[in-house]
Amino acid sequence: MQEFLDFTLGGVSFGMIYAAIGLSLVLIWRGTRILNYAQGGMAMFTTYIALITINHTGNYWLGFVVALAAGAVLGAACELVIRPAQDKPPLNAVIVTIGLLILLEGLAGIIYGGQFRSFPAAFSITGLRVGTTSLGVSRNDVFVAAAVLAAALALAVMFRYTSAGLRLRATAFSPAVARLLGIRVGRVLTLGWALAGLIGALAGVLVTPSTFLYPNSMDSIFVLGFTAAVIGGLDSPLGAVLGGLILGVVLNYAGGYLGADLVPVFGLAALALVLMLRPSGLLGTASSRQV
Amino acid sequence: MPEPPGAAAPPDPPDRPELSELSELSELSELPELPEPPATSPALPALAVEDLVAGYGGVTALHGVSVSAPEGTVTAVLGANGAGKTTLLRAISGLVRVRRGRVLLHGADLTRRRPEETARAGVAHVPEGQGVITELTVEENLRLGALTRIDRAARAGALAQAYEQFPVLAARRRKAAGTLSGGERQMLVIARALLSRPRVLLLDEPSLGLAPKIITQVMGLVAQLRDSTGLTILLVEQNARAALAIANQGIVLHLGRVVEAGDPAALAADTGLLNHYLGL
Repeated sequence: MQEFLDFTLGGVSFGMIYAAIGLSLVLIWRGTRILNYAQGGMAMFTTYIALITINHTGNYWLGFVVALAAGAVLGAACELVIRPAQDKPPLNAVIVTIGLLILLEGLAGIIYGGQFRSFPAAFSITGLRVGTTSLGVSRNDVFVAAAVLAAALALAVMFRYTSAGLRLRATAFSPAVARLLGIRVGRVLTLGWALAGLIGALAGVLVTPSTFLYPNSMDSIFVLGFTAAVIGGLDSPLGAVLGGLILGVVLNYAGGYLGADLVPVFGLAALALVLMLRPSGLLGTASSRQV
Repeated sequence: MPEPPGAAAPPDPPDRPELSELSELSELSELPELPEPPATSPALPALAVEDLVAGYGGVTALHGVSVSAPEGTVTAVLGANGAGKTTLLRAISGLVRVRRGRVLLHGADLTRRRPEETARAGVAHVPEGQGVITELTVEENLRLGALTRIDRAARAGALAQAYEQFPVLAARRRKAAGTLSGGERQMLVIARALLSRPRVLLLDEPSLGLAPKIITQVMGLVAQLRDSTGLTILLVEQNARAALAIANQGIVLHLGRVVEAGDPAALAADTGLLNHYLGL
C-alpha cells in the first residue's frame, strides 16, 4: 500500500512535467495546426540559460524567472521563423521545426559543450515524512506539481476571461473569421508561441534536476509530453494535463512494479490504446479533419 | 470614434476610368432620404470600388467591376452562381488579392490591405454561411465583434445594447453558438458585425438556407439598420426579389462584369433581365 502510494505520487509529479510539455504543444497546435518538434530543444536551451544565471548570481529564483522569460522570447522568435511555412503543405512546417530542433541542440553543444551538468532543484529532494513514515515524494515534487498546475490554471483563466484569451481561442477555432473581425492573427500566433515557449521552459527547469542537462536532455521528455498531448486530444489544454497525469502515473507503476526497462514500452502502449479506443483523444473535439 | 490609421489620408481626386458604368449609379445618390447626414464629405460615396480586377490563382473572377455606394444606402449585388458576387466582397475586405483597381472607404484607399486591417478601418464583412465561431458561446462571439473598434470601457455598454436589439441572443448568451438555429446565427453574425461599429457592412447571402419567414425578418433588419443608423450596406443575394425590395440601388454581375445597374424597382420589374442573368 505504501509502495502504491509512493508510485502514484511520484507519477503525478512526473506526469505534471509531461503535462507541461503537452500543454505547450497544444497551445501551438490549436492556433497553427503545427506540431512543434523543437519544443524540447527550446526547453533544453532555456534551461541552460537558467543554469548560467544561477551559476553567476547564486539565485535559483532569478534563474527560474529568466528561463521563463527566455522561453517566451524564444517561442515568439520561433514563430517568426516558422511563419513562412504557414499555409503551405504540412510537411514544410514539420521540417522547419525539426530544423529548429537540430539548430538549438547544435548551438547548445557549441556554446555549452556536450557534457552532463547537474541542475539544482528548487526545494529539498529528500522524501517528505508523515509522522514516522517517509513518503516517496519530496518537497520539490510537490513544488513541480503545484507549479505546473498553477501555470495551467493561469492559462485557463486567461483563455476564458481576458480579451487576449478570446483572441487566442477565436484564432485557434477560425482564423479566417478572426481576421474579418479585425484580429491581427499574426500577433495572436506570436503570443501563442510565446506562451508555449514559457510553459515549455517551465517544464525544462522543473524536470532537469532529475535528468541532468545536456543538449539532448529533453528529447525523451518531449516524446512523453507529445504522448500526453495526443492522449488528451491535441487541441484540448485540459486534455493535455489529464493525459500527462495518466501517463505519468501509468509509467511510474510500470517502472516501479515491472522494471524501469519497460517504461518506454508502456508509454507507447498507452498511446496506442487511447488511439485505438478514442482516436480523437480523451477530450479532442475534431474526430475527422479536412486535409 | 478614433480614426484608424490611414483612414484619414487625404482623399485621392476622383479618378474613375469606367464612367460609363457609373453614370447610372451616380443619379441614384440623390434617391434615398438619409436619416443622418453623412459625417464626412457628402460628395464622396461611403464605399467606392473602381475597376476592380481580382481572382484566384490563374482564374480571374472579376474583370473591372465598379460600384459606388452612397452613405446610408443598401446596394443589392445580384447575379447567378459564379458571377463574382462573393469574390467582389472578398476583394473589398482583402481576402482575395486585387490585381487592378481601387477600393475606397470615404475616399481613403483600402486596396490590398490585409483583411484584419480593412476590418479595423471600418469594413465589416459577414461571410456566407460560416461567420459564427461555433465553439465559442454567443456572448464570446459578440465580444469578439467589440474588440477592435470600441474602447475597452465602452464594450459592456455596447454589448448590453446589442442584447436589447437582439433579445433572442440575450436568452442564449451562455450557449455555444453552434447550438443556434440558422436564423439565430444570422442574427448573431449581424449583431457581431454591428458591434465592430462599421462604416460599411458587407453581407454575403444572409438569406441562405433560411425559411421564407426568417428571410423577411433578416431583410427587414437590414433595411432597419440602414434607416436607423445610416449604415452603408452591400448586400449580396441569390434571392433577388427579397434584396431588391429593400435596396436603394442594384447591380447585376455576370461572369465578373457589371451588366446592369440602377433603380431596384426597375431591375425587379425587368423579368427578362432577371430571367437571363439570374434564372428566375
